[in-house]
Amino acid sequence: MELFLMTLISGIMVGGIYALVALGWVLIYKCSGVLNLAMGELTLIGAYVSLTFYSMGIPFILSIVLTLLIGIVLGILVERIFLDKLIGEPILAVIMVTVGISFFFKGLVEFIWGTDIRIFDPPIFSLKPVSIGFLHISTVYFWSFVLAIVLFLVFVAFFKYTRWGLSMQATADDETAALSLGVSARFVYAASWAIAFMSAGVGGALLGNINGVTISVGYLGLLVLPAVVLGGLNSIPGAVVGGITIGILQNFAGTYLDQYFPGGVKEIFPFAFMAVFMLFVPYGLWGWIKIERM
Amino acid sequence: MTKVWLPCGHYHENYAKDQGWWQTPVIKGKMISLLLIVFVVFPLTLSGYWLSVANMIGYTALGALGVQLLIGYAGLITLGHAAFIAVGAYTSTLLVLYVPWPEFISTWGLAYPISILVAAIVAGLWSVLFGLPCVRVKGFYLILTTMAAQFITVDFILTQYISQIGGRGQAFSLPPGTIKIGPWFIDSDLKAYFLMIFLLVLTIIIMANLLRTRVGRAWIAIRDNDIAAETLGINIVWYKLLNFFMAGFIAGIAGAFWVSNSAALSPEHFPWFWSLWLVGVILIGGGGIDGVIFGSIFMVVVMEFIQMGVISLADVFPDLMMKFLYVKESAFGLAICAFLIYEPRGLSYRWWQIKNYFNLWPFSY
Repeated sequence: MELFLMTLISGIMVGGIYALVALGWVLIYKCSGVLNLAMGELTLIGAYVSLTFYSMGIPFILSIVLTLLIGIVLGILVERIFLDKLIGEPILAVIMVTVGISFFFKGLVEFIWGTDIRIFDPPIFSLKPVSIGFLHISTVYFWSFVLAIVLFLVFVAFFKYTRWGLSMQATADDETAALSLGVSARFVYAASWAIAFMSAGVGGALLGNINGVTISVGYLGLLVLPAVVLGGLNSIPGAVVGGITIGILQNFAGTYLDQYFPGGVKEIFPFAFMAVFMLFVPYGLWGWIKIERM
Repeated sequence: MTKVWLPCGHYHENYAKDQGWWQTPVIKGKMISLLLIVFVVFPLTLSGYWLSVANMIGYTALGALGVQLLIGYAGLITLGHAAFIAVGAYTSTLLVLYVPWPEFISTWGLAYPISILVAAIVAGLWSVLFGLPCVRVKGFYLILTTMAAQFITVDFILTQYISQIGGRGQAFSLPPGTIKIGPWFIDSDLKAYFLMIFLLVLTIIIMANLLRTRVGRAWIAIRDNDIAAETLGINIVWYKLLNFFMAGFIAGIAGAFWVSNSAALSPEHFPWFWSLWLVGVILIGGGGIDGVIFGSIFMVVVMEFIQMGVISLADVFPDLMMKFLYVKESAFGLAICAFLIYEPRGLSYRWWQIKNYFNLWPFSY
């Protein structure tokens, strides 16, 4: 029972980070209709950038803030250089451009930082677990979860209460109407990419704290795809539920299925689950159901 | 894009001529001389290094043909094709290494040819298994299914289970002399080249002819508008699954060929990168079968040239040599983006324009 609860709790904690990254993905899809396969590499960049700042002696929180700033710059650059020219192109072209971007960034990261595993040194979080009642949660998981949720709430507040956020909501809801009301669609696209880079970057920094920073952080970032499929491609609450569910499922697979299928069942289980899930509920829990007519 | 504007004075008098592959004597002569070049001139003149480059081009083209069949002719976007190539390669290897063949089959060297056929069928069926979700979903969701196919097949089943057969743990070793066709051992680049060019030409003939039958027209109808295709009476589930089978079949042939070209087989030969690379090949090459060939040649040869450039720079920047793989990845990513933005119809469209310009030259209007 205790093992069950521990697995559940740490699953929820990791799932919080996935939810943060999934938020970035959903935003891009809602605002500009781009299906982004580069999310893994965006988390990778975040992990390495924050690590670099941290190893330069900058405090962790400050290096997270710097990662956010770099995320904004990169996001706007990527949108302006690549995606801006592809508005209205067929879906395959847009998807493959994001794949191209992901390769470009992956090669760049490997070129600059190499492929050896790196850790945040000195460790940011103490090894002593946080105790709530009889549950012991490792500090890294706990604070990562808290930070992820705080950032998530900040982003949600940004949409609800600021002028820019409202213009993004309007574009996501009805692009033509938003354009006729004077919302700049290009600004909204750039902003959604900037936010995606920010959320993925922080997610990468937190995941890097848990497992150490390697190329495989990019693979963890790819887990955002099962999460958004589960929640529905254009639903922000769906991103939260999907992210946390994927975190829990992944941990349960690692704990309970590993004895039956030794090896990497933890890594592939979310994808296998997604493939089966799609057969029954292709539009996810809260996604818009598209009805196609001739 | 197979249609070329005919020069003055050429008319089609019946349907068979209209559908013919080589429509004018000039084209016929051109194609026959091309076949002569690839079957006779290249093996005689090319050195070992360039033959191995040619083998790589052939392997890429065989893989990309299947991707072209899925993406280019049925609109089923796949990002997991390396999984089916891997299934083909592993089936072929296991059959050659671990099946106790009767005496006459091994003396006559039939084991490998049989294994190619079986590998193709197994890979086709495996591909149908992961194509089954196309009954319910399409577009982006299908992409995710094929990604799942890649991770489940290569990273899980092949790495964790199949590789354990024989107790070696990581890779199957294929010493020279394992692969035998008839009286010949495939142990040099030249022999692998002949095998490659034979398989490639055969696959192209099969695929090109399939595309102008009822089946091929049904695929194209599904690609253009699947709902309209359904109202025309096309059983879209059956034809989509058939497309998955054919793509997997060709992938199996590609995988079985890769076995003859390499000394060892490990799951690392079939990463997700390779799936995306194959999609990149057809994006850069463009539509049609010629697009696959142009794309493969472009990708492999450009990468070889980049590698040569890196080697010549190695004295100045020793780091660059070590990190060549990453440069390659970045360059690949940028190339895909650049082609999609500036040349979205690929190299084959450019080639078509050039051909038409000269067909109507000097009065190109």
